[in-house]
Amino acid sequence: MNAIRKRDTQGFFRSPLGYVYTGAFLTIMNLYFFAICVLSSSSDTGSVFSNMLIVFLFLMPILTMRLFSEEYKQGTDRLLLTAPVSVWEIVGGKFLATISVLLVALACTLPWIVIIAIFGEPAWASIIGCYIAVLCASAVFAAMGMFLSSLTESQLIAAVLSFALFLGLYIADMLSYSFDSDSLLGAVLSWLSIFTRYDSFMSGQFSLGNLIYFLSLTGLFLYLTARVLERRRL
Amino acid sequence: MIQVKGLTRRYGNLAAVSDLSFSVSEGEIIGFLGPNGAGKTTTMNMITGCLRATAGTVTVDGADIETDADRARKIIGYLPENPPLYPDMTVDEYLEFVYQLKKCTLPYTEHLTGICDMAGLSDVRGRLIRNLSKGYRQRVGLAQALIGDPKVLILDEPTVGLDPRQIIEIREVIRSLGQKHTVILSSHILPEVQEICDRILVIDHGKIVADGTPAQLSERVEGAEQLNMTIEGEPAAVLGVLRAIPGVSEAVVTVEDGMKCVYRITAESGADIRRAVFDALSQHRLAILSMQQVELSLEDIFLELTGAEPAPEQTISTDETQPEASKQKKKRRLFGRKRGDDK
Repeated sequence: MNAIRKRDTQGFFRSPLGYVYTGAFLTIMNLYFFAICVLSSSSDTGSVFSNMLIVFLFLMPILTMRLFSEEYKQGTDRLLLTAPVSVWEIVGGKFLATISVLLVALACTLPWIVIIAIFGEPAWASIIGCYIAVLCASAVFAAMGMFLSSLTESQLIAAVLSFALFLGLYIADMLSYSFDSDSLLGAVLSWLSIFTRYDSFMSGQFSLGNLIYFLSLTGLFLYLTARVLERRRL
Repeated sequence: MIQVKGLTRRYGNLAAVSDLSFSVSEGEIIGFLGPNGAGKTTTMNMITGCLRATAGTVTVDGADIETDADRARKIIGYLPENPPLYPDMTVDEYLEFVYQLKKCTLPYTEHLTGICDMAGLSDVRGRLIRNLSKGYRQRVGLAQALIGDPKVLILDEPTVGLDPRQIIEIREVIRSLGQKHTVILSSHILPEVQEICDRILVIDHGKIVADGTPAQLSERVEGAEQLNMTIEGEPAAVLGVLRAIPGVSEAVVTVEDGMKCVYRITAESGADIRRAVFDALSQHRLAILSMQQVELSLEDIFLELTGAEPAPEQTISTDETQPEASKQKKKRRLFGRKRGDDK
């Protein structure tokens, strides 16, 4: 598992993609930070982080599209499938590699905290909560994107499918606002919505239920990916 | 070492491999021979656990590939038809990745140096795989299969796409590997398997059509069946003489060239007519400029074995520069007999 994680993380930074990805993420997020925190002299990182998931919505497909599609295309899935490793190790390794890249991108946002600490009083609990929340929610996206990548040989199709799925989830979230929250549909949509749960994290409420929701959704898609890999042998 | 029992693979209604059974003993080099689409790669994929069998079992050194997959996979080194390479890695990085992936416990530096020497990679270890030629990529693929010193090596068309010198080198490597490992390789090139392998399995339409050592198989195919000859003389007269020879079932002109036509003579099955042809022609003072047994390509042999129509026309490689009458038998053919003749 470690070998696969290492190779995939490095593989990401072997091509310009890794740098372009991190660069694009940081450019957009720094603009948000500048607009929300610096210009209005606010220490409200929650507002910055609530936009971060939207940015990930656009950028995550680029990160996950290659995970399996590229292996299929190059025929290297043969190497992985005939190695003495289980499909779980393959899936786990690739997932952790994606998370590692996310962590690199997130680590680059740490100067914000330093800036806030110099000029004001950071709300530590809220900041830590934000980081945990963005990690959990983007892990869900990563698992979904990886699952879609395992379905096709084409990176482009994988990217388009993931993008459509993420955008669909986002629209479902917006729909949940237009329905009355007393109605069944509204309640179901808002219960299912990743974004609603994410925002409740951002407002500083920690909820074990939300954490379990993110983790189990991630687990579900990791499981589905492993099943797809096993199905490929059939 | 390897036991394959009733191995079957279906894609919908199409059986790519049906009811294949054979066993390979330790240290044997065995060759799968067959035309494209015969089921060689499918069989190899199933032996390595890349593909699940519809029915049947594969046991490698006592470990079932399905139920005891981890142990079985550790014993097998696999070189698929397209070497599974990451173009964005250097050879060293790639081999290190495979070393870790296979959870290899042999001493790292020694093991990899040994493998690189054997595969002839020592000079390119720092280069990106993307920039390597096809021949070197094939070698990296072979090196990858050798990591972890597996007892069984499965090589799918290891010499495809290589130049003649590289083919000879790779053959040497495979032969030397055969001393320590059990090797299964596939090919559609007849002389290749004939040269390297201890035993040949001929596969067609997912079934074994012949199984034996190269010597055993060639014993079954003594004798001539078709001759290509260049004969000096009036074509009508020559044809008359040829058709009168006992054992000749058919004689036709394939290349018209005045007095030096090329003829194709077909013998009745099982008969060696070369001496009779020579005697008859010399009696009529017709000079034989060249005589050559038609080498059946593997495709033709399969067409024969499967009872289909033979290929319409074959390339004729008569040696025109050789003026004196010569009888030559270039290469012994393997199992060139028509179906049902030998069983």
